[in-house]
Amino acid sequence: MPEISQTTIWTVIIGMAVTNFVIRATPIAVLSRRTLPAPVLRWLSFVPISVMGALVTSEVLRPGGQWQPPLTNPGFYAAILTALVFRYTRSFLGATLVGIVSYVALRAVIG
Amino acid sequence: MYRPILLVPQETRHSATLAGVPETDSTSHSRAADAEADLALHGSAPQRFNRGLKLGFPILLGYMPVGMAFGVLARTIGFSVFEAVFCSATAIAGAGQFIALSLLGSGATAFTTIVATAVVNLRYLLFSTTMSPYLHDASRPQQAWLAFTLTDETFAVNIADRREGLSTAASMAGVGAVAWTGWVLGTAIGAAGAGWIGDPSRWGVEFAMPAMFSALFVALAEDRKHVAVGALAGALVLLMPLLAQVVPIPQGWFVVVASLVASAAATAVFRDA
Repeated sequence: MPEISQTTIWTVIIGMAVTNFVIRATPIAVLSRRTLPAPVLRWLSFVPISVMGALVTSEVLRPGGQWQPPLTNPGFYAAILTALVFRYTRSFLGATLVGIVSYVALRAVIG
Repeated sequence: MYRPILLVPQETRHSATLAGVPETDSTSHSRAADAEADLALHGSAPQRFNRGLKLGFPILLGYMPVGMAFGVLARTIGFSVFEAVFCSATAIAGAGQFIALSLLGSGATAFTTIVATAVVNLRYLLFSTTMSPYLHDASRPQQAWLAFTLTDETFAVNIADRREGLSTAASMAGVGAVAWTGWVLGTAIGAAGAGWIGDPSRWGVEFAMPAMFSALFVALAEDRKHVAVGALAGALVLLMPLLAQVVPIPQGWFVVVASLVASAAATAVFRDA
């Protein structure tokens, strides 16, 4: 493995910090003080549920970019159980812990 | 359209759950919820901040092992402990940081590495835009902190909390703080103990994030329309590898493209929303 210089490491660290902050802060800084048009607001109201649907599907069925068929995938059953626990308890921590424990248990059986 | 802030009726606002009242009673449940809403909306700034810390605690659980993995990996390609921790503390970009390590490890220049991580993090433009109407009343320093700690997970937790009508700038700052702590602490443990830490995945901690997303999906689903839009986004993200063979879409963009298409379709179809 090539030796990476201290200059390169620090350039990357500072560069990432700056670009990440600019990307995250610009829309908030520019848009938060004005009223967005109604269609844009309606579109934004659908963004979080879309992102979450895409994220959970991708993390459970394609972890690390690899397709894992649902029926033999411990994460698939654990995710459904997590959703049900949250639905009836409204507790993020409780649901997340049940998810992790059931995932480990299911992985031991079918993983 | 956004749900207005949930206002707790005046007569129930001060009837906090009494000690000894059985929790199984449905009335006491709603009273506990009222008490929580009261604290969330009318508590002092430190109380609301603390509420955010608790709300974000599952994020800490999920970030620590991933941060540890980053710390271990950073040491193996030549970062010092301080550099690894400093990088996590200032970038807080899970996928972006791992990509930076892999590019640096394969001999890429600093410039290429920065550009590549910026591209992976462009999804935060979408998150930040979605957050912006909620931050109308936040001060500029508060907005800066919320932007700095904006990740997939803090975004989802804060948006879900806002849907319940409970989030404030102070609670969002708390969620950001606990997430940041988990990420930085995990990196520090991983980098300092790079030699003797085994594989954190045997504890199943890598399922913390998917489990949280699953719970957050339920929290964000207001009605059947939302469930349909979320399912559409999920189906689209599974089709992305096929689409990527025709149009060059990097893997880091799959979630963003699927979300954009699904939410745009919903905007066009559900005109009365």
